[in-house]
Amino acid sequence: MRGWWIKLLKYALPYWRTLALVGALMLCSVGLEALGPWPVKILVDYVFSEEPLPDGLRWIKVLPGAQGTIGLVGWLAGATVLIYLANQAAQTVKTYLETGVGTRMAMDLGGDLFDRLQRLSLRFHGRQMTGDLLRRVTHDTGCVKQLVIDVAIPSIQAICTLLALFTVMWNMDRSLSILAMMVAPPLGLLIKVFARPMAERTYEQQNMEGQMMAMAERTLTALPVVQAFGGEMRELSKFRLMSMKTLEAYLRAVASQLEFKVAVGGVIAVGTALIMGIGGIHAIKETLTVGGLLVFLTYLASLYGPMTTLAYLASGLASAKGGARRVLEVMAENEEIREMPGASPMPASSPKGREVKFENVTVGYEPHRPVLKEISFAVMPGETIAIVGPTGSGKSTLVSLIPRLLDPWEGKVLIDGKDVREISLESLRSQVAIVLQDPFLLPLTIAENISYGRPGANLSEIMEAAKKAGAHEFIQRLPKGYDTVLGERGANLSGGERQRLAIARALLKDAPILILDEPTSSLDSVAEKNLLEALERLMEGRTTFIIAHRLSTVGKADRILVLSEGRIVEMGTHQELLGMGGSYAKLYEIQMGAIKKVESVLCESLL
Amino acid sequence: MLSRYKPLLSHTFRQWPRLLVILVFTAISAASSALQPWPLKLLVDHALGNESVPEFLREAMDLISVGITPIVLIVVAACASLGLFVFHSAMDVILSFTWTSAGQRMVFDLACEVFHRLQRFSFAYHARRGIGDSLSRLTGDTYCLYGLAHGLLVGPAHQILTILSMGVVAWRLDPGLTTITLIAIPALAASAMFFGERLQRTTAVTREAEGRLLTFVHQTLTAIPLVQAFGTRMLNRKAFHRLAQDATLATQKGSLFSNVYGMVNGLALTMGSALVLFFGGKRVLADTMSVGDLIVFLSYLRSWHDATQELLRTYGNLRSVKASVERVMEVLGAPEEVKEIPGAKPLPPAKSPNGRVVRLEGVTFGYEEGRPVLQDIWLEARPGEMVAIVGPSGAGKSTMVSLIPRFFDPWEGKVTMDGHDVRYHSLSSVRAQVALVMQDPFLMPVSIAENIAYGKPNATQREIEEAARLAFAHDFIVRLPRGYDTVLGEKGATLSGGERKRIAIARAILKDAPILILDEPTSEVDAKTEAEIMKAVEALVHGRTTIIIAHRFSTARKASKIVVVEGGRIVEWGTHEELLRAQGTYARLHLHQFRLLSKEGAA
Repeated sequence: MRGWWIKLLKYALPYWRTLALVGALMLCSVGLEALGPWPVKILVDYVFSEEPLPDGLRWIKVLPGAQGTIGLVGWLAGATVLIYLANQAAQTVKTYLETGVGTRMAMDLGGDLFDRLQRLSLRFHGRQMTGDLLRRVTHDTGCVKQLVIDVAIPSIQAICTLLALFTVMWNMDRSLSILAMMVAPPLGLLIKVFARPMAERTYEQQNMEGQMMAMAERTLTALPVVQAFGGEMRELSKFRLMSMKTLEAYLRAVASQLEFKVAVGGVIAVGTALIMGIGGIHAIKETLTVGGLLVFLTYLASLYGPMTTLAYLASGLASAKGGARRVLEVMAENEEIREMPGASPMPASSPKGREVKFENVTVGYEPHRPVLKEISFAVMPGETIAIVGPTGSGKSTLVSLIPRLLDPWEGKVLIDGKDVREISLESLRSQVAIVLQDPFLLPLTIAENISYGRPGANLSEIMEAAKKAGAHEFIQRLPKGYDTVLGERGANLSGGERQRLAIARALLKDAPILILDEPTSSLDSVAEKNLLEALERLMEGRTTFIIAHRLSTVGKADRILVLSEGRIVEMGTHQELLGMGGSYAKLYEIQMGAIKKVESVLCESLL
Repeated sequence: MLSRYKPLLSHTFRQWPRLLVILVFTAISAASSALQPWPLKLLVDHALGNESVPEFLREAMDLISVGITPIVLIVVAACASLGLFVFHSAMDVILSFTWTSAGQRMVFDLACEVFHRLQRFSFAYHARRGIGDSLSRLTGDTYCLYGLAHGLLVGPAHQILTILSMGVVAWRLDPGLTTITLIAIPALAASAMFFGERLQRTTAVTREAEGRLLTFVHQTLTAIPLVQAFGTRMLNRKAFHRLAQDATLATQKGSLFSNVYGMVNGLALTMGSALVLFFGGKRVLADTMSVGDLIVFLSYLRSWHDATQELLRTYGNLRSVKASVERVMEVLGAPEEVKEIPGAKPLPPAKSPNGRVVRLEGVTFGYEEGRPVLQDIWLEARPGEMVAIVGPSGAGKSTMVSLIPRFFDPWEGKVTMDGHDVRYHSLSSVRAQVALVMQDPFLMPVSIAENIAYGKPNATQREIEEAARLAFAHDFIVRLPRGYDTVLGEKGATLSGGERKRIAIARAILKDAPILILDEPTSEVDAKTEAEIMKAVEALVHGRTTIIIAHRFSTARKASKIVVVEGGRIVEWGTHEELLRAQGTYARLHLHQFRLLSKEGAA
């Protein structure tokens, strides 16, 4: 976590002007603080003891009404008000500006973290807890506000105040001043000793809070299962247990901070008592006036105020460090699919579509557990390839390599002869339209969902795509039609309807490479037939990959690729594969067996 | 009025021992702050000035046989100040720690209640609201209790005590000057009312804006494959920025009001202070008051000021916090869609060893008012039977079966098990009757074994493996490096769709309930696995009532009864053969599939 605070301070740079203003206000405040006790001193030393004003202060008498004693008292009283007010005003404006800057910095950091998360690979996300990530983005990013506003600025203020006051005190009584500063080394030592335990405990506490959010998030996301399987009480106990653990972490963090604060306070108190004593002695020996002693003591309180603040800031720093760690950890994650330097966009494709080639690709999600092994094949422009195989054989993984949702461990994927890693990401992904098994519909309107990949599309284009996907009909039947807002994950539609929306979305994108992962799994046979007919038209001039289990879908393909346990076991046209009598042929037989039975019943019924 | 917040405040009051400690120590601390300026007075008036020492001190000094020289008095003053510090320190530590402990406990107690409440709403509720918003209330707005407890109990107690104690002491010292300071009060009251209202409003707006931001981030994080595949990263970035702006502006507005409020209060109080200095100064000049006394009075005045400012600030905070309170109350007060009637008893035991009779009688239901998804549905499934529900997508099949475990209550009609209306029995017993496999498997990020045993937490390893075997999942599970102990990534991310489905099926098998509902169990598997799963399902049919939603007729064929749903109504039912002969919807759908398949046969 070296230099974590430097990384965070960068977020303060865009606001340097406001921060400079804050700094100026702070200095005003410091000055006004220093001025604070003077009216009282003047009153005590000169007015009440009936001494004449010294030369430097004679100008006060020039003020109207200040010739008389009462008038003088009035002016001095007024002065306290003015000084206080000016200080208050400065601080008010300062706080207002600080809040603005603080919130904006936190949001800037949040935006960057959010963006990073969008770019990190699916492999990373598969390992994370969504709720925990959520907390990092929306809550832990407050660390930058804490660092700049709650720690850095008060520190600067405290140091300035210290310097100013110390200078004045030095002029009043040197030995006392030196004594007053004696507290500094012990304080420094305390900070050093306590800094690490405070920071670590705060970090632990914040981690626990992240986990609480994660748990709540995943229970609510999987609510149907929780309810159907009666898991509510169990989840509640788990949540309660987690909150207890978080409480403990909290209390440990607070305890270490309190220990620190008491220690700091103790050092300061001893210092004050000593000064009081020695100062009193000086006053008796008349090396110091009573009024002077009072002022000195007031200044001492003012001195020890910022000193204490500075020390306390160490605990604020620890807090900020905890949050910063949680944010910077993710920012430092390196697993994203990175665009290589020198990556360039794809040139326009030929009207026939694009060629896709896999050369010796091996890849997996966990180290040493490859899902695909040494995959090599080539797909001609405009060809339709069906990918079949038992579940878990790597079909979805294979197609996700094409838009670089994943990068291979070995080997490469080429589009029109160019390695996909050499293509700029934006260009690459615009070449591929994909329909995933999980449609991932968002809580936006149907029209917005369909145009997700092409936000500029107009309504007629959207409707066109919906018609091709066979979704237009059911959309029209909804009371708000295309303006219907979907629930989370498209919850108010049936499985088949969601699938057709996802297909419409892919179709609207109009990309030269089309990937369909089980496009008809949730559809009934009529919808399936309609969709396949529509797809047939669309597949012309496009290179298409279809993952399917149903041979009715597979039948449209030019060639079929059979995967088993991560390897290609067969590849060829439907006829060729039947002739080989291998896995495909067997699959086919099973389905044909089903057909024969249907045939016989149908014959019977027609008799 | 306060009774409305009873559910909330009950969590606060549960911490009463700690709160009592806080109140007691706060009182002591406030009272002792009256002693704060005395060492100074001692120093100025008695050690340095010429005033004679008060009686009690003289006696105390006599006791320890120390003479009363200025030096001694100075030492005494110094020790007194140190002693006061130690005392206050101790108070502070106890108060701080107790307050954190009590406060966090309150918040977490409330969070548990909110969490439990959220679990009881239907998934339609969550789909409408967005999980992000609920999370925002759960982990953010619940902290309102801190503010409430502080604002209602601890804060004012401390401040009011200080104000009173300072007031009494100041009055004893000089009634005239004390009266002058009270001039500020009407202005302060007006300020509190004006700003309080605005603080509440701006906080409400801020919290809502933050909730929207959280929801957006959540929904993006759950759809990362989509974001990457469709290249919407920059769009999302901009959307984030817009939502963040909204939240920032709202926060700033709140800060503005808060700060101006403080300043206005400070102004009123300072004017009072200046007047005191003026009149007090006159008195000193007229020798009717000692300098030391004036200084002490000013010091008390300072404490009084600070306490009053604090009190006003507390009021402001209370108004702000109220916004969060309302957000939490919304969740706690929202009506549960599916309510268990008080005193509901468990379902009586099944009459038949082969499962229960499940009936939907005249059921009409929809997710939105005026838009029924199901209309006048009459359906029966008997013990040992397998009923298949088929029909075009969107016809209402999944909705129909979600009424059986009472995820929702029908608008009209009823759902019965063995003739008992499910609404009149305990929810947990009704749900215990049903083992459900949904289209989305909803696996949890725990081990495979724990996933399978989710419906029966005490299951033995053997039972788990048996269920997995029946679901044809055992083979691929043992091939994983950690087998049954493999912890799934969120949403079972590291398995294929078909593998996840089979774990969900194993989970339902293990639950071993009298009613088994399968919503398209074979939609994502290849033909071979489909055949295996159907064999497993067929084996399970005995001793159970099974309802299966299917698109594929190979599945539907085995059912003893097929029900055809179209447009929310049942249009046909019968056996496979009967329906083919009837040449209705079923036959038509079937023919399509046959044609599709036979094209392959002819090729």
